[in-house]
Amino acid sequence: MGSKKPSAVSGLAALIILCVASLALFTIYVREGDSGPLHTIQLGASEVLRPVRGLLNLATWPFSAASERIEGVVDTSEKKKELEEKALEYEEGAAEAARLRQENERLRSLLQGEQPSFEYGPLARVIQPVGGQLTDRVVINVGTNDGVGPEQPVVVGNNALVGRTTSRVTPNTAEVLLITDQSFAAGVRIVPPEGSEDESGETTSAGGGPSEEESHGEGLLRTSWEGYLGVDYVDLDAGAVQGDFVVTSGRAGNRELIFPPGLLVGTVESAISQDIEQYMKIVVAPTVQADDLQEVRVIVGW
Amino acid sequence: MVVGNNVLSGGSHIVRAALLVALAALLETTLSPLLTFGWVGPRILVIGVVAAVMGLRDLQALLLGFFGGVLTDTLGGGQFGIAALGGVLAAAISIRIGTTRRKGETGVFLARAVAVAIVAYDLLSLIAPVLAGQEGPPVVNYLLSGVVPDVLLNAVLAYFVGGRLLRLIATKEERWI
Repeated sequence: MGSKKPSAVSGLAALIILCVASLALFTIYVREGDSGPLHTIQLGASEVLRPVRGLLNLATWPFSAASERIEGVVDTSEKKKELEEKALEYEEGAAEAARLRQENERLRSLLQGEQPSFEYGPLARVIQPVGGQLTDRVVINVGTNDGVGPEQPVVVGNNALVGRTTSRVTPNTAEVLLITDQSFAAGVRIVPPEGSEDESGETTSAGGGPSEEESHGEGLLRTSWEGYLGVDYVDLDAGAVQGDFVVTSGRAGNRELIFPPGLLVGTVESAISQDIEQYMKIVVAPTVQADDLQEVRVIVGW
Repeated sequence: MVVGNNVLSGGSHIVRAALLVALAALLETTLSPLLTFGWVGPRILVIGVVAAVMGLRDLQALLLGFFGGVLTDTLGGGQFGIAALGGVLAAAISIRIGTTRRKGETGVFLARAVAVAIVAYDLLSLIAPVLAGQEGPPVVNYLLSGVVPDVLLNAVLAYFVGGRLLRLIATKEERWI
């Protein structure tokens, strides 16, 4: 008994010291910048673990493929048909928006005498998701060696936004914060599809990209903790309706040009205006499902 | 090492326990993300620490929990210090619940200890973003659809896998006791 008491006391002291040490590490990590020592250590470790992650991803690929096949088999044909129709709608919407953007760019270039274009990094493969219960991030197999830097937009195809790179970019890997992560935010504009009528009854000009006047409002794209993608801070009189396209506006709060304008995010799934609320409640159906990501591209310049 | 209430000491056992914790940290950062759905997934580090520190002296156990947590923080991309604190708490919980363990109840003990440790770990994950000045998930929602299924999943995992982990780190002599 006598020898157990000092052991218990030293155990308690060790527990307190280690808890304080952990909290000190947490505080340093939160307060230090992205180039701080703890962040740098994590970056180095991420680079070291890259082959292991790649191997594990390869090893689990048959399981994920099999689970997809099983899902396909057990799925009811009605649901499958519904999903296929939805996928087709998304593709059509994305194609339409891409055409609108290109037309918009062409008109802008006529006005400003310069042709805006995106400079892409090489095609990148998603290595694996990043751990953490409350985050939605993935690691891709391109890094600073490929011209990729922090805080650059990540897209599927030419212009379907899926996220942005974080500060964790190593020579061969980059971490991507997906649009479904609760800490992701982007300034977006809601634009009507070509040929639709606005509130005043005027039809948007065919072939003409959406101008500022034709916009159905601007806001901040965010994913709620309930899991849906939405646009916050859209004025009640903005006129957003179901089926409108959601594209980046080139602004995110006070931070300008994190994303170039015109990147397609999705379509408005529902838009509710209630007088009791200060802003519209807008839910967005994303163009690309973040869970199905295989290959992406980073826009390294625009 | 402690089996029942007996304290044994073995350098070999500590080395094996440290290796188990290191492996758990590696799997936590590489394999767990692939198996996580929403807020629920296997917490391999917690299971590894709870199993590995079973039978170690208090100080050894706490240091091992801290080591595993720091390793997870380093290899993973999360906020540094959270896994370290989680590892220390998991070790402390394992020690505390281990004092009430009866012979032959390894699976039940591990499931209980892991369940309590997961609650602590999940609550830490809930508080961490708030402490870092970020927005956290709705508490009730997180408790019901995150913590509860997480605890159940990991307790079941610990019940079935924990015994095997213990056999991995126990030396031949210790298995006879």
